[in-house]
Amino acid sequence: MKKYFRFSIISIVFTYLLIFVGGLVRVSGAGMGCPDWPKCFDRWIPPTNINQLPDYIDPEKFNLVLAWVEYVNRLFGVLVGLIILVSCIYAVLYFKNYKKVTFSIALALFFTLVEGWLGSKLVDTVLNPITITLHLLLALIIIGLIIYSSIESYYIIKGNFEKNSVYPDRIQYVILGIMTCMFVEIIIGTEIRGGLDISRKENPLIESTILLKMLGPFKYIHTILGLILLALAYYLRKIINDINSSPSDYMVYAVNAMLAIIGIQIVLGESLVFFDVRPLVQLFHMWFSSLLLGLSIMQYTCWKISNS
Amino acid sequence: MKKIHLIIILSLVAFLGISAAWVISKATKSSQILPAVIKQVPEFSLVSHEGETFTRDSLLNKISVLDFIFTSCPGPCPIMSNNMSKLYKQYKLHPDLQFLSITVDPEYDSQDVLKIYAEANGVYDKRWKFLRTDMEKVKKLNSDGFLFMSDNLPAGHSVKFVLIDGEGNIRQYYNGTDEASISILRNHLNLFLTKLRS
Repeated sequence: MKKYFRFSIISIVFTYLLIFVGGLVRVSGAGMGCPDWPKCFDRWIPPTNINQLPDYIDPEKFNLVLAWVEYVNRLFGVLVGLIILVSCIYAVLYFKNYKKVTFSIALALFFTLVEGWLGSKLVDTVLNPITITLHLLLALIIIGLIIYSSIESYYIIKGNFEKNSVYPDRIQYVILGIMTCMFVEIIIGTEIRGGLDISRKENPLIESTILLKMLGPFKYIHTILGLILLALAYYLRKIINDINSSPSDYMVYAVNAMLAIIGIQIVLGESLVFFDVRPLVQLFHMWFSSLLLGLSIMQYTCWKISNS
Repeated sequence: MKKIHLIIILSLVAFLGISAAWVISKATKSSQILPAVIKQVPEFSLVSHEGETFTRDSLLNKISVLDFIFTSCPGPCPIMSNNMSKLYKQYKLHPDLQFLSITVDPEYDSQDVLKIYAEANGVYDKRWKFLRTDMEKVKKLNSDGFLFMSDNLPAGHSVKFVLIDGEGNIRQYYNGTDEASISILRNHLNLFLTKLRS
């Protein structure tokens, strides 16, 4: 049983790394680094030289750095897929009577395959913004499922780690409120990013910060919701710090980390608007949002367990 | 949480940040390399759909995207002209970028026919010119000037877009029917326009 738990943790870490690498591909403009899929310029090992290109691919598409960045993402994707597959096998072996554990990891595995297929569609559609958004959302669903499965398995192995906690009823509204806000926040964030992409294409050589200003009310809603999230996370911390709550350590970690990361997110987000749309900041802004979603699922699962 | 855990997590994030910054800078640099000069465009003289003379000198101090088409072409030309039209609209604020479409069927494509074709493609200013000369000269320009096959004109014309710099040099060819290739052209246009203005 512990084997599964260990593998589920490895799956979580590697899936988060993959989300980071995927974001890196995006911000470094390497999404079309390989114009074909799954091979790269018709090779299993990407070309290192323009002379290695097949005749039917236009040579102007070749950029050594971008090809390798994109290909490393694909290879890493395969590795993560294999890790989730192994987790899934362990889940079936050791947790077959626990549907919450097996079903969610199996679903994660299925979505991982869909995610690979969506990756191929990204290349086919030359990075269509909607496909990019779906690619990210599916990654978030996958990580959510693995986290859920992992905590449920831990609960079965270790027993109820939330047995001492006495959360007030209103905590569920706060946790669900955070989840909802976060979901909306991520959708708006991808809208802003997609809108910026389209705007860049339609208005070449115009500074990104000016284009952001042209995008309309989305970014204000994004900021306001960010502040609401900060307030909610602060309130959640207040609830669990109450003398009568006696929360599990995991709940405390999840809430504290969330509060810290939301703070960082607001700073990063505003720096994108006010200073410059820097790729590295953009990357971390996206990645931290995926961490926040994971923490939110952790809080929800802990609360659910405290009720059982 | 133990302090050591926090340190490990922060170090990992820092490591990711530094690696990502390195990859981003490598990728940015690699995307900012201007394609090398392929060859000089030779002297030529063409007439535009508005009746103006267009010569090699008209290429100087401007960035040009050029293709060979013919208006009655059923195959790739509508796709090429549609893609050219998109670029024409996207770069509306950049008068130092011009689009040039040379007809490979000058017998049918009279100045009037070209004019109608220009209007049909949404041309409203001087940034996109439809050019013609007699068949022999077009063939020569097509093959000697731009290194395309002239054996089977007009139907056998190339689907490539040619990028010409401000000194009248051919810098790169792009597939005018392929979105991925055109997105690379867009990136190169931005680089060349920035360079032209500096």
